[in-house]
Amino acid sequence: MATSIVIVGVGGQGVLTLARWIGEAALAEGYDVRIAEVHGLSQRGGSVEVHVRFGKEVYAPIVEEGGADFVVALEALEAVRAYRYLRPGAVLLVNKRVIQPPGRWYDLKELIEAIKRSWPRSYVVPCYDAALELGSALYENSVMLGFLSQLLGLPMPSSLDERNQAAFRKGMQLFQEAAAADQ
Amino acid sequence: MRLLLLGNEAIAYGALSGGVAVATAYPGTPSTEIIETLEEFKDRFVHWATNEKVALELAYGAALAGARALTAMKHVGLNVAADPLHSAAYTGVVGGLLVVSADDPWMYSSQNEQDTRWYGLQSYIPVLEPGDPAEAYKMAKTAFELSERLRHPVLMRSVTRVSHVRAPVELEPPAPPRWGRFTRDTKRFTLVPANARERKKELVEKWEKIIDVAGEYMTAEGSGDVVIVTSGVAYNYVKEAVKRLKIEAVVVKLGMSVPVPRKITELAKSVVVVEEGDPVVELQLRSMGVATKGKLEGFFPKYGELDVGKVAAGLAKALDIPYAPPQPVKAPLEPAPRPPALCPGCPHMGTFYILRVATSGLNPVWSGDIGCYSLGINMGQQDLITHMGSSVGLGSGIAVAGGQFVVATVGDSTFYHAVLPQLIDVVTRQIPILIVVMDNAYTAMTGGQPSPSKAVPVEKITEALGLPTFVIDPVDIKKSIDVVKRAVEVVKTGKPAVVVSRRPCTLIATRKARRAGLQLPKYRVDPDKCTGCGLCYNLLKCSAISKRPDKKAYVDPALCVGCGMCAEVCPFGAFVVEGRREQWLELWRQA
Ligand SMILES: Cc1ncc(C[n+]2csc(CCOP(=O)(O)OP(=O)(O)O)c2C)c(N)n1
Ligand code: SF4
Repeated sequence: MATSIVIVGVGGQGVLTLARWIGEAALAEGYDVRIAEVHGLSQRGGSVEVHVRFGKEVYAPIVEEGGADFVVALEALEAVRAYRYLRPGAVLLVNKRVIQPPGRWYDLKELIEAIKRSWPRSYVVPCYDAALELGSALYENSVMLGFLSQLLGLPMPSSLDERNQAAFRKGMQLFQEAAAADQ
Repeated sequence: MRLLLLGNEAIAYGALSGGVAVATAYPGTPSTEIIETLEEFKDRFVHWATNEKVALELAYGAALAGARALTAMKHVGLNVAADPLHSAAYTGVVGGLLVVSADDPWMYSSQNEQDTRWYGLQSYIPVLEPGDPAEAYKMAKTAFELSERLRHPVLMRSVTRVSHVRAPVELEPPAPPRWGRFTRDTKRFTLVPANARERKKELVEKWEKIIDVAGEYMTAEGSGDVVIVTSGVAYNYVKEAVKRLKIEAVVVKLGMSVPVPRKITELAKSVVVVEEGDPVVELQLRSMGVATKGKLEGFFPKYGELDVGKVAAGLAKALDIPYAPPQPVKAPLEPAPRPPALCPGCPHMGTFYILRVATSGLNPVWSGDIGCYSLGINMGQQDLITHMGSSVGLGSGIAVAGGQFVVATVGDSTFYHAVLPQLIDVVTRQIPILIVVMDNAYTAMTGGQPSPSKAVPVEKITEALGLPTFVIDPVDIKKSIDVVKRAVEVVKTGKPAVVVSRRPCTLIATRKARRAGLQLPKYRVDPDKCTGCGLCYNLLKCSAISKRPDKKAYVDPALCVGCGMCAEVCPFGAFVVEGRREQWLELWRQA
């Protein structure tokens, strides 16, 4: 059985890179991997969606609606948009950040509350805040990667540079805190 | 070496292992990374051509001379290259010629969903259809041998979910490039009617042979009474769907889907057909007397792309077995759409604003085109976008049809690709149209490939043609409005005029600034001065600016690139800059 992950966010947040890191880590563990990327028009600031599947044997490169084991959102509104991919029992990971869409203003707290209420199997991860502490919003994807790696049982990909490694470790630490709080 | 490669990278490495010497393309999603990957290999001739026809001609000519050549394009690019493509089947080739065309089912980055495989049938050129990056690698590598064996061009049909899927690929080292020298063979290469008639007879015979060759690319696995015929990426969905439905079936995969191999008729008289795109395999099977259940009767959807769920549902229907599809979860709210938008600080944003003000009261027809500036649709400034060159081509037609004021907006890459010949018609008939070339120095939409705009400046061409030409800088909004008004006056007198709006792509410029260690200036809103008029977020529509609940503007500091266009349009001086702008604007201008 393959593990199916849908990763979403807004153009420029490093959704593609996050997907490639997962793929790299899975390949290093000896798994077969498929990453369905997006390029071109879909990269111009709009919603971005990348699919990752890994396992002993993988054929289909994309995840169907209702078929994701994990939905990983680097932005809260995009998390809501990706609900259609959740399969029963799937885990939803949401970065605590909203990027306002054109012409609308969403309250981050209310969004997060709505997500927690409607999908109890969700983790709200403060990747954005942690990344800013590390010096730049650019690290929010590697913080998320660190958190997610604990759920997937995947190692840290070897291509991470020093600062992304620090962000990865921060993500791991956030997971441990979240797990402790769950108990 | 086992690497996680994009399908397009795999095609490029396959071509290298196959000894490709000449590789050409015009960029287009989802095909672009093939040539981007090959660009590093300086021992080959690798070239971004002005359009797909030029690209194919270079490769076809090289192959006639005996070299191994590849050309790559997106599906609609094959329309542009269709003329030489058909001739290539008549003359055949000497060196291997591989034409890669990447389809975009469900149109993630395209204006249509056309299926490349029709071209195979129409032009008598066999079509290889890889299902994943590893297979794409192998097929690209061996395609040159196949082409040389048949003395015939070979098409490869990729799709988004092959070209833009990353998967493990086992790589072999590149083979030395195979160059060639042209040898005269006049009867074959000059398609005057007397020769072309002979070639057509030969072509029909060759096609019969190719129908057998296609059998070499056919595989069958599994057992059972049910036979499923599939090709390309659809194979992957079939594999998982068969498992999900727990059915016993023979899965026949056609590596060459045009033509369908004759030997398939020995396998079954009735089959289920699963293919991505149009029912190209299905129709061929029916013409061979095989009964099919596929797209024709709607067992599988006739548009969009397949996935495991759609294939499982279709198979269940075709085989009359029960299947309960997964039910999508309902979201707690309907999120506002986040359509693609111009990058913050995009020069096109300034150009659209300038044009809107300079033509106010004229109610122009905004004749649009394909490129980042097609996102001017968000500002209501693209009334039509159909294909590369639609701006000036269709805009001219509209102008002659009823005398409306037409503004044709076109990017620099599209200008060279499609508009150059149209300009001649505009000049010879003095068609009154305002042509606005949005020269950002790159082919930005497809990821920033070079454009000829620095080597062959637009104004040199338009001035040589005698077209009144006005050059502006789109971040200089106030000044540029006055210049464009002069161009508008020219068109009002019933003549064509050209505006060249020049400033490089912001995305590329900010990347260069980051590498140079330059700190970008940032703008913020002084809430005491902002009146909430909305000019910046409603008309300029900078995507770094949003509307607060109190209607005042807010600049997201993480997104602002310090272009200063907001400060140019704000009547109340509400935008305050932090940091210095001159050095940035200069680096940007040179980017
Ligand atoms: C025949 C054809 N070939 C390629 C493409 C892919 N494509 C879309 S827009 C574009 C060019 C964009 O460049 P430009 O006109 O300079 O505009 P920019 O994106 O830089 O603003 C290309 C190559 C296409 N749509 N049609
Ligand atoms: S990529 Fe360049 S041209 Fe395209 S929207 Fe962004 S800044 Fe503008």
